[in-house]
Amino acid sequence: MDKEKIKINPEFYDIMPVEYQELVENATYGKEDRGWKDVGSSKELIEEHSLCAGCPESIAFRHILASLPNPEETVMVGSTGCTSLVFPHIALHNIHSLFGNQNAVASGLKRALAYRFPDKIKDVVVLAGDGATVDIGLDMTLQSWFRQEKFATICFDNELYANTGGQESGLMQKGFVGKMAPAGKQFEKVDMPGLAKTSGCHYVAMLTSSKPNRVEKVIRNAVLIAREIGPTYVQIYTPCILEIGKQMMEGLQEMRDSEGPGQRFEYQEFITDEAKAYMEAKHPKKKRKKKRVEEKKVD
Amino acid sequence: MYAVAEVLDESCVAHKGCRLCIMYCPEANTIMFDPEKKVAVVNEYSCKGCELCVVVCNAAKHQAIKMASR
Repeated sequence: MDKEKIKINPEFYDIMPVEYQELVENATYGKEDRGWKDVGSSKELIEEHSLCAGCPESIAFRHILASLPNPEETVMVGSTGCTSLVFPHIALHNIHSLFGNQNAVASGLKRALAYRFPDKIKDVVVLAGDGATVDIGLDMTLQSWFRQEKFATICFDNELYANTGGQESGLMQKGFVGKMAPAGKQFEKVDMPGLAKTSGCHYVAMLTSSKPNRVEKVIRNAVLIAREIGPTYVQIYTPCILEIGKQMMEGLQEMRDSEGPGQRFEYQEFITDEAKAYMEAKHPKKKRKKKRVEEKKVD
Repeated sequence: MYAVAEVLDESCVAHKGCRLCIMYCPEANTIMFDPEKKVAVVNEYSCKGCELCVVVCNAAKHQAIKMASR
């Protein structure tokens, strides 16, 4: 997809929805240095969605869509869950298949795209919840990493099955009592980043979506490394404020609390030597003018 | 009654480069930067009233956003 392809025929311009007109005029397609700084001054690739008020998952969604390096040539593969409520509202190609088989679908898709468009760069990004990535789809997730399929896997970790009322998930922390898991979790949270490292991922990161510049850096690395080198995995903490009993404005503080030193979502990043050499050679860090960032004051 | 966020233009420090509310709003295209007035503006039709922008604005001691009923 290209911005040319979504252009409106001038004869029909006035009857198109305002949101679509804005997308054609003011979206950040085809911009090499797009990032979260474009948010607020240009049209985002996500429209009004049906997630709850104050849902941290939608903050993460905004940051991810703002930092994808090449959105017009990207196909996202989703799975069942709260994320599948947002996919119909994003201005990117996306696929929704059965629960848990997102990495299998993405494997086939990436191969088909490489065969059909050998001269174009096509990115495939899997975005699914923890139920789809770690519980029901763990088989497909791990097998795609063993096969070294070249796409990025992003897991929205909210530590339970939020969409269906709070059942226990593999990523739930030990001892947590969910609304539909009254006995409490009996065993430890699955160490998914560790599994990703041993399964052959070339870039693994675990973070929360409380810092947009960090999300931007991680997503950019994950997508670019997956383009040439091999599978990458990103795990983002997006707490479900309803299920952990927080108010709608407390999601951000919850993310900040759980990424402190020694907490379970402390920022961690792993990159193989091969991927590091590739990034330094092909995509060196851009030197940006340092602007005054107000964010520091909050921390 | 429905609660939406409202930006107080005189307290907003978006002209100094602050983008806190724009960054942390969970809704897309809801808090936008007005390039002429150099303040943040809220698109009230898509605001769900979660008060996250109020929390981040107050945490930075700007106190430039308050909730209003419509």
